[in-house]
Amino acid sequence: MMFNFSNVFVFLAMGTVFVAVTLFLGRLIRPADPNVIKMSNYECGEEPIGHSWITFNVRFYVIALIFVIFDVEVVFLVPWAVVFRSMGWIAFWDMLIFIVVLLVGFAYVWEMGDLDWIEYEEGEEEE
Amino acid sequence: MEAKKIFDILSGKFGGSIQQLQESTFPPSVVVGSDAIVEVCDFLKKAEGLDFLSLVCLSGVDLKEQGRMTVVYHLGSMKHGHMIAIKVELDRSSPHVRTVEKVWPVANWYEREAYDMFGIVFDGHSDLRRILMPEDWEGHPMRKDYVYPKRYHTWDV
Amino acid sequence: MGALEDRFPDNILFTTVDRFLNWSKKSSLWYMLFATACCGIELMQTGASRYDLDRFGAVFRATPRQSDLMIVAGTITHMMADRVKRLYDQMPSPKYVIAMGSCANTGGPFYKDSYAVLKGVDKIIPVDVYVPGCPPRPEALIEGIMKLQEKIMEKKNLVKK
Repeated sequence: MMFNFSNVFVFLAMGTVFVAVTLFLGRLIRPADPNVIKMSNYECGEEPIGHSWITFNVRFYVIALIFVIFDVEVVFLVPWAVVFRSMGWIAFWDMLIFIVVLLVGFAYVWEMGDLDWIEYEEGEEEE
Repeated sequence: MEAKKIFDILSGKFGGSIQQLQESTFPPSVVVGSDAIVEVCDFLKKAEGLDFLSLVCLSGVDLKEQGRMTVVYHLGSMKHGHMIAIKVELDRSSPHVRTVEKVWPVANWYEREAYDMFGIVFDGHSDLRRILMPEDWEGHPMRKDYVYPKRYHTWDV
Repeated sequence: MGALEDRFPDNILFTTVDRFLNWSKKSSLWYMLFATACCGIELMQTGASRYDLDRFGAVFRATPRQSDLMIVAGTITHMMADRVKRLYDQMPSPKYVIAMGSCANTGGPFYKDSYAVLKGVDKIIPVDVYVPGCPPRPEALIEGIMKLQEKIMEKKNLVKK
C-alpha cells in the first residue's frame, strides 16, 4: 500500500501556520518595554560581569561528546534488560561484546589524555 | 584546669602583659594587654596541658561611657574540657589590635564581623572587608553612637 | 508599549477580547522560585501536592525571563534588595508581585531599629497583593493568588483607559 504523503504535507503546513499565527498574535497584543536592566544577562540577580558570548574551552565539547556516547549506551541497555530473560545467553554475549567495544574506545580516550583537563604536550611528563 | 591556675601560668610566662583575672564572668576571663595578644593566644593554643585548640567566639563590646572597646576571645579545649575568655581593652577612638588569624584560621571571619559591626581594625588581617553589611554601607551598626542612615542606594532605610 | 495596546473603543467586542486576554493571563501565573527565609518553606508547601498551586495555573519557573509573578517570600536585607530589584526588572511585562509574610510587607519583627533589614519590599518594587502572617499558611497564600487573579481580571488591555 502506498503511503499518502499529502497527509504529511498537510500536517507540516498546519503546524507552521499555527505557530506563526500564535507568535504574530502574541507580538501584536503583548506589552513591549525593553530597558537596559531587563536586557542584561540573568546572573541570579547579581550584576553580570562581562558578555555572555564568550568563547568556551573546546574541551567542554570533547567531554560532552564522550558523555553522549555513554548515554546512548544506556538507551541500548534498558530495552536489553527488559527482554534479557526471554532471550537467554545470546543476549548476554551480544551486550558483552557491545560494552567491550565501548570500553576499548574509553580506554583509548583515556590513554590519549582527552579526559585530562590540562593537555600535555608530546614528551612532557604527567605529574 | 581552673582559671586561677591558667592565670598563674600566663602571669609566669608573660608577666606584666597579663593584667587581671575576672572570675565573676562565664567563662572566667583574663585581661591581656593588646601588645601581647598574639603571643598569648599562640601559647594558649600550643602549651602542654592548656591546648586551647578552638576559638569558640570572637566578639566586640562597645563601652562608650568608659571610652573603651573590648575584644573578647572565647577559647575552648576539647581535650581537657575547659574554657577561658581573653579580653583586650582598646582605645575607642581608634581601636586597633593585631590579628590572631595565624593562630586560629577561623578568626578570619570572626574578625571581619567584628570589623563590620564595631569598626575594630585588625592589623595584619589578610582580607579585612565587611562580611554582613553591603560593601558600601556607611558606619558600623553595633557602635553605640551609630546613626541610622536615611537613605541607601535608591530607597529609604 | 505593544502594537495594539490601549487603542480601541470601549464596546462589547473589545471588552470581550480583553476579558479573554485577562483570563489567559490569570490562568497561567508562573511564579519565580524565590525564597529568602522561612516563608519559603510555606511557599514550597503551597506548591507541593497537598495544596497544589498548579490547579490555579501557577507553576514555578527558575528564571525571571519566563515568570509573570514574583512571590517575595521572606526577609529582604539591604544587601539582598539590590538583587531583588534587578530580578524584578528582568521579568517581562506584565509582571506582578505578591509580598508574602510580615517581613516582606513591613519588615516584620525587624521593623524597629534593624540596621540590616529592608522595611517592606514595597520600598523598592511595586506590590500588588500583601499576604499577612509570620509565615502565612498555604491557604493564605492561595487566597493572595486568588485576589491577584481578581485584580488581573479588572485590567484593561486593548481598550482605551
